[in-house]
This record gives sequence, structure tokens and C-alpha cells, in this order.
Amino acid sequence: MPEVKSVFREVLPKQGQLSVEDVPVLVLCKPKLLPLKSVTLEKLEKMQREAQELVRQQEAAGAGQHENAQ
Amino acid sequence: MEVTLSMDPLFLAWSYFRRRKYQKCSDLCTKVLEENPYDQELQTSLHISEAAWSLKTRALTEMVYIDEVDVDQEGIAEIMLDESAIAQVARPGTSLRLPGTSQGGGGPTPAVRPMTQSGRPITGFVRPSTQSGRPGTMEQAIRTPRTANTARPVTSASGRFVRLGTASMLTHPDGPFINLSRLNLAKYAQKPNLSKTLFEYIFHHENDVKNALDLAALATEHAQFKDWWWKVQLGKCYYRLGLYREAEKQFRSALNHQEFVDTYLYLAKVYQRMDQPITALSLFKQGLDHFPGEVTLLTGIARIHEEMNNITSATEYYKDVLKQDNTHVEAIACIGSNHFYTDQPEIALRFYRRLLQMGVYNCQLYNNLGLCCFYAQQYDMTLSSFERALALVSSDEEQADIWYNIGHVAVGIGDLTLAYQCFKLALAFNNDHAEAYNNLAVLELRKGHIEQAKAFLQTAASLAPHMYEPHFNFAVLSDKVGDLQSSYMAAQKSEDAFPEHVDSQQLLKTLRQHFAVL
Repeated sequence: MPEVKSVFREVLPKQGQLSVEDVPVLVLCKPKLLPLKSVTLEKLEKMQREAQELVRQQEAAGAGQHENAQ
Repeated sequence: MEVTLSMDPLFLAWSYFRRRKYQKCSDLCTKVLEENPYDQELQTSLHISEAAWSLKTRALTEMVYIDEVDVDQEGIAEIMLDESAIAQVARPGTSLRLPGTSQGGGGPTPAVRPMTQSGRPITGFVRPSTQSGRPGTMEQAIRTPRTANTARPVTSASGRFVRLGTASMLTHPDGPFINLSRLNLAKYAQKPNLSKTLFEYIFHHENDVKNALDLAALATEHAQFKDWWWKVQLGKCYYRLGLYREAEKQFRSALNHQEFVDTYLYLAKVYQRMDQPITALSLFKQGLDHFPGEVTLLTGIARIHEEMNNITSATEYYKDVLKQDNTHVEAIACIGSNHFYTDQPEIALRFYRRLLQMGVYNCQLYNNLGLCCFYAQQYDMTLSSFERALALVSSDEEQADIWYNIGHVAVGIGDLTLAYQCFKLALAFNNDHAEAYNNLAVLELRKGHIEQAKAFLQTAASLAPHMYEPHFNFAVLSDKVGDLQSSYMAAQKSEDAFPEHVDSQQLLKTLRQHFAVL
């Protein structure tokens, strides 16, 4: 079918920007999905936080007593 | 007249225990024990005090109990002074130590998916054992505690376990409940109904693995080496002490007595620690023959594939997990993050929405939702998700990561001032955020501040030598200003971090041509 062939014609630009030179560009680091935490990890972190809190309290109490004794 | 009706204290304590009110249970048991001292000769009172004593050990154990299957933390000493390593350079695909060698799985490259310190793509889920992976060199291992979010202990014996042990001691100002050094272990090993609770108390609460091992050895002897439970406990003790071959023997022997999912998991953990992922995989398959469709075994297989950088088959196994248990958070999170990094944020969004429907409510999830919404072009939800994430943060590192991601949204909409501020905020919350340094450098260079950009890139490269971006950017920048020698060195580092990176290769090629002409 020669008629159909003539409907579309290829377009080749002859002026304007004809090619793009590949220059190295700087790259950004990629967005970071945060991993979810497992139940065990959350419990471990909670226990650690509580323990630290307790140590701080006990140290504060100890320091207070020390001052009173002096 | 006042009538006080009260329950039998021991029964009440038992009820507290079942309702998970461990502190109350323990207090009540202490009272019962004070009223019935252990050394009385009366038979009934002896029974009561024994029961109260055993219940108290159980309550104290439950307070600090963590699933032993999940717990795994390698110290620097274990990694660097590894005696079980057979070959210095393992064949590709047979070791967890060379994650890059099995790249054939078609996983995403570092160009689209960020890497962790150990050169693995970041995962969608963290467990205690996946926190920072294996560093390749001593230098990296020592550096890790400064840059990673969680510090790596010098050895696992000085790690979290000990800290937890001392923490449990601190809660009792008048000393520990049981004085282990004065305990006659042989006597308790004779009593099966007391010895098991006592063992768990020593192992989990006191973290005294050597005494626990002694007790387990005596008890298994008393049970004439026929009780699988004691063998598993012996194996756990050996594992903690780093005697992996002995642990393997105990677990194997326990499996001969009784097929049990937990035992398979412990044994696989031993193989993973000995860096034999293939053996672990075949063990999991063996376990699946006995327990078809068991979720924990399937998850184990998926995790190994993921650690070997074979993301495609890991995803297949995670899908199998979801067929058995469609509320499995780890599987959903891993498949979701995999979709995000293979350019399908819409599908990732559906997985994360599923997690939200299931009731997961934390800053990580909202951050991921925000990112997925943005890249799936659902702009109305993006910023509100990030706002929620910021409202839910619990640590500065998380806050830094969220600001870093908001910075990306700002870059995406072209608001470079906002992006600059976001990356600056990320650095304010976490001074070691190498990605933020790199991105700031790129923004600085757009403004024409070359020296500032160089300084940021150098900081990023020293904080995270495993990332290729800072090296490559530094190479490009030096090339532009004519410092070809530093450009060449940086490009080489970039190629080491990401061998398939075409731009680095081209830069190296042109530089080599330059040098050849000279």
C-alpha cells in the first residue's frame, strides 16, 4: 500500500541544537528510605535508654547524698 | 469491724505474671519469700518458697528477655581475629564477606540505591544483627563506631549484653536476687522444675554465660543426655562464648532428639557466623521439609539472599513469606523498599500504606511514605507525611535523615534555597551525615563556591569512603580546575567503590590519554 507510506515522513532537524555533548555532571546522593526497626531492636533500645536513665538518676542521688554528708 | 479479704499471695503473683505485670509479681514474690524463708524444714512451706522463688526468677527474666534468635552482634575482635575463616578470598557467591561478588542477581546498582558501610544496598528492615554489616578492613572497623548510628563494641563480650547485665543489677540497690557465686549448681541441676527457670535467669538476666554453661552441663548429665532442651541451651552458651563448632554439635544432637523450628534457626545462625551461607541455606531448606511454609525459616532464607546482594531472589522469598503471613512487617518493608529503588514508587507506596493500616506508627514509616508520595507524584501528601515523621522522631540521627530526604524533595521542586537549608539542618542534627555533605557540595558548586564545595566533598569522602559520589564529584571538580593528578586519584577511588560506573570510567580514560600525551 504505497499511499499509506506517504502519510508519515521522517523529520530530521537541520538547524537549532542538533547534538548534546556528554559532559560529566556532579551527582547527588540518593534519597534514603529509612529501614523499619524490628521488635527486638526496639525493645533493646528501650531497655538501654531506661538503664541509662536509671544510672543517671542513681548518680544524681548519690551525688546529692554526698553533698548532704559534707 | 474491718474485714480485709485478700487472695492467696502466691496465686496473685501468678496472676500478675500472666498479665505481664512483672514488677508487681516480683515484689509480691519477694514478700512471700520473706515470710517463708528457704531454709525451713516444713514440707509445705518449702514448696511455697520454691514456687515463689521460681516465679520470681521467671518474672525477672521476662523483664529483660529478648529473643535469642534475633540477637547477634559482632565485635571488632570477632571480625578481625576470625579463626573459622577457611579461605582469605572466598569463591564468589559462597561468602557473606564479599557482597559485591554475587552481583549477578540483578539488584539495583549504587547509582540508584544507597549503600551501607559494608557495601551492601540498604535494606528495608533492621534487626540487631544487620546494623552495620561487616567492614572490610581493620581501619574501617575502627572507624565504624564514629560514623554509624550505633557503636560497635570491641568484642561481643563487651557489647550490649554486658551493659544489659549491669543494668539489671542496678535495679536492686540491695544486691542481686540470687548470688551466683554462692549457688550450689549441682543441687539445682537435680531438680528439673527449678533448673530450667534458674538457667534462663542466669542466661538472660545476669548474662553470666559461664555459670549458665556449668548449670546446663550438669543438668544435661542429670537428664542422661536425653533432653533436647538442655542441648539447645548448651548450644546457645557455646555460641555466646564463640565456640561455634561445639555449638553446632549440640544443636545437631538436639535436632536428632526433637525436630524444632527454633533449633534450626539457632543452627543457621551458627553457620552464618562461620560465614557459610550456603550451608545455612541448605539447612533452612531441610527445615522447610519438616515444617512446610514456616515463616521464620522462609525469612531466614530471604535474609541470607539479601545479605549476599541477591535482591531478586530475596524478594521472591519475601513474597513466599507474605503468602503464609500477610502481616509480616519485615517482608512488606523489604519488598516495598525494593520497589522504590527499582523505579516503582507507586507500588512501594501501596506496601507502605499497608504497613500503616496494620498499625505501624513511627517516623521511619512516615518518612518512607513521604518519599514514595513525592516520587509517585502525589504531592498533596508529601509534606504532611514528612511533618508527621518529624513529630515522631526519637533521636537526632533520625531527624537528620528526615531533613536530608526533605532536602531531596526541595531539589526536586527546584527550591534550592530550601534544599540548602534542609541539608544544613541534617548536618546540624548529625555531624557525620556524609550524604548531606556531598549534596551540599553540589549546591555550593552551583553557586560557584569552589573551595567550599571541595572542602565538603573531602569531608564526605573521609566520612564514607564506601560511597562513590563524593569521590566522583571531587574528580570532576578537580578535572575542571585543572588539577589532573587529584582528579585521577579520586576517580580511581570512585571506580573502586562502584566498578560499573560509566562516567568514572570515561573520566579515567580521558585522564589516561592526557597523561600519555605528556
